[in-house]
Amino acid sequence: MPTRELPEKSEITIIGGGIVGVTIAHELARRGEEVTVIEKRFIGSGSTFRCGTGIRQQFNDEANVQIMKRSVELWKKYSEEYGFPFEQTGYLFLLYDDDEVETFKRNIAIQNRFGVPTRLITPEEAKEIVPLLDISEVIAASWNPTDGKASPFHSTAKFALHAEEFGARLVEYTEVKDFIIKNGEIKGLKTDKGTIKTGIVVNATNAWAKLINAMAGIGVKIPIEPYKHQAVITQPIKKGSIKPMVISFKYGHAYLTQTAHGGVVGGVGYELGPTYDLNPTYEFMREVSYYFTKIIPALRELLILRTWAGYYAKTPDSNPAIGKIEELSDYYIAAGFSGHGFMMAPAVAEMVADLITKGKTDLPAEWYDPYRFERGELRGRALQMG
Amino acid sequence: MRPLDLTEKDPSKKVTIYLDGKPYEAYEGEKFPVAMLANGVYWLTTSSEGRHRGAFTFGPVPVTVNGVKNINGRKLKVTDGMRIERQTYTDFQEQVEIDEGKPVLQYVVDVAVIGAGPAGLGVIKEIGGRLTTALIEEKGWLGGDLKLKSVKQEGFGDPKEALEELTELPENTRVFLGTAALGVFDKGEYFLVPAVRDDQLIEIMAKRVVLATGAVDSIMLFENNDYPGVFRRADALEVINVWGVAPGKKVAVVGAFPEEITAELDRWGIEYVVVPNPKRVEGDDRVERLIDWNGNTYEVDAVIMADGRTPDINPMTQAGGKLRFKRGYYMPVLDSRHRIRDGIYVAGSAVSIKPHYANYLEGRLVGAYLLQEFGFEAEPCVYEEKLKEYEPIARPLPRLPLDELSGEDVQICGCGVTLKKVDDVVKSGITDLQIIKRLTHLAMGFCQGRYCLFNGALLTSQRSGTPMDRLDIPVARPPIKNVKMKVVAGRD
Repeated sequence: MPTRELPEKSEITIIGGGIVGVTIAHELARRGEEVTVIEKRFIGSGSTFRCGTGIRQQFNDEANVQIMKRSVELWKKYSEEYGFPFEQTGYLFLLYDDDEVETFKRNIAIQNRFGVPTRLITPEEAKEIVPLLDISEVIAASWNPTDGKASPFHSTAKFALHAEEFGARLVEYTEVKDFIIKNGEIKGLKTDKGTIKTGIVVNATNAWAKLINAMAGIGVKIPIEPYKHQAVITQPIKKGSIKPMVISFKYGHAYLTQTAHGGVVGGVGYELGPTYDLNPTYEFMREVSYYFTKIIPALRELLILRTWAGYYAKTPDSNPAIGKIEELSDYYIAAGFSGHGFMMAPAVAEMVADLITKGKTDLPAEWYDPYRFERGELRGRALQMG
Repeated sequence: MRPLDLTEKDPSKKVTIYLDGKPYEAYEGEKFPVAMLANGVYWLTTSSEGRHRGAFTFGPVPVTVNGVKNINGRKLKVTDGMRIERQTYTDFQEQVEIDEGKPVLQYVVDVAVIGAGPAGLGVIKEIGGRLTTALIEEKGWLGGDLKLKSVKQEGFGDPKEALEELTELPENTRVFLGTAALGVFDKGEYFLVPAVRDDQLIEIMAKRVVLATGAVDSIMLFENNDYPGVFRRADALEVINVWGVAPGKKVAVVGAFPEEITAELDRWGIEYVVVPNPKRVEGDDRVERLIDWNGNTYEVDAVIMADGRTPDINPMTQAGGKLRFKRGYYMPVLDSRHRIRDGIYVAGSAVSIKPHYANYLEGRLVGAYLLQEFGFEAEPCVYEEKLKEYEPIARPLPRLPLDELSGEDVQICGCGVTLKKVDDVVKSGITDLQIIKRLTHLAMGFCQGRYCLFNGALLTSQRSGTPMDRLDIPVARPPIKNVKMKVVAGRD
């Protein structure tokens, strides 16, 4: 289990013990690499344990569709091997006007091209999938039954335990304070618990990525800012009441589903920041209740158990920055997931491990090129909700 | 009189209610669990795991009322002919009525006091009408725990007489009874305290806030500790002294602090036995016998847990307060003027466990600090001196007999989390309370840890060897009391 003892040395050190850092460590350790994760609080404490649980392939560009297709394969594989809740219960986008339908038709065509079986369905079909829906204003829905959801708690904990079995070390409650660099080469990291000798560093700190980049002293501009997004959970209700993730852009960019535990969980597009403040707000509680009860009226009578906040670590095009930073030997970044870190993590882990161990990857890494901001080559904005 | 009535009730209010089709005598306005208790019926609802539950231990009490599912039975007041059915926690109403909702009520005051026990009333008394105040109380009465007592209390004497004086409030105090505060939100110029009374949303804007939110009874871990007929101390006192109903014909008082319960039972002539070390409760749908660690069996129909109290830390952590561990419990870190941070004061058993009168004095002290902050003359030092006479009560840290209990039968949390479930995670090597919480759902249900987090911390500390003061204690998130989505769903 994770310790608070910093090892003296590690070939590879990952800063940040969220799902991204933990799955990268898991993948590297599986391949026989010596790897250590340094987490300033406890694993998952940054954004992972605060996420909305959704895992979808319904994106609007080729790279994200491909990476999410691979990610879903890995979610399935590892949930079966390690025994944590991952269910392919689908994503259901409710559509309310012709423009929305046209946009989703284009997205569906991209998704179908890569074998993601999304299709346009009628409001009545949507209601069969989620009988509690109010479909009075819905004209169609985009439905992919192979999208899904997983428990961030159980999945992260299982990836962590298995990473350790492969020999990875997870160090909690330890904060990286500075880099030790000689002639452009990383020699180690200074932390509040002492120094670790290391040659390869991965910045997997998402909301804090710019601080770590500043410590590393890299010149390249990688704009990642933390925005506060909030989520809500209700009292548990009968299992199977809301199987898929239900999305409504009309009603507050809302996403909602039922957790394996039974509560209805989700959020709306109520964004504050950039800020590191994570205090939940009263305004969110009101907004989310207003929109959710429009989408599913039965939620009116359910008790809100709590609300909480987490980060969308956003880049200007809502796509993460993943890759090697050439100014420093050897420094990698996998951050700025803009709300998609949890769902993407298993595929990102494979991609980063490929880059570190082989210097190349079959996954479409160029889309996430960390130099694109500096070059002014922003990607199309990744489809985002919440 | 009904089997467990202690007092004669007003015959003009006599009504008939039905539980699962069977008629019972009740009195208009009586709380549903009290009416059923008077008739000797303890089992009212069924947990997600199929465990029969009453209303006096922990967990929610959803019931179906006149065909409408998922009504909070704990707060339900009966009316004639009401038809109530038992249900499980996860049953909910699929077809709901949609109305526009009530407009939000808004009030602006100098000071919002959350909690109207002796401490909250002390704050109001000290302020003496010099500032506008709002007094927000979740229960339906003023006086908090003091109201539940009928025997003499140190410093106050007769509780009834003391309360008569304490509840003479200045006219610029606005009282909100039966109103649950959802949290404290910082708005810069003021604090926003949203609150709910009967599905009515109320927004109280206050320059300063006092958390006089009190303490919670410690839940004891023994086998079948959630059985109908197991009472928390405060609930037992409430049924006796507010509703005039006995918890049972023969009662077992368990835990390290039996005195205040036994004093009340003596006064009412309720037969009881004191059992310091309960191991297991048994019975069919309700308590029928209690077995202790010495192997003794006691034939009883109710068990009252009197194992001390600990400050309710949720309102304080939600409002941004930090905690420390002292005298056997978590308590707020306060500055020299009883604040958890600028503008937010704490008084009473939310600070530390002590007699009612000491809580009242602490309320007066905070009232004096507030007066000074608003530029009035006040003498907090008088109360500071008096309070020195009261050393807060230390609660010995219980040693949980983890390896001797049948962990599947012990409920650590009312939301279906057994001791075994939590212990298995800890034994698997996960010793961070934050992660244990998320893997077991401990402290993530209806009470947000109010009744279960402490035992979770204790178990973690005991198994891992990490001292209680070094555990990473989860912070409460708003709403600190459950609220229906429709209540906050309106738009201004």
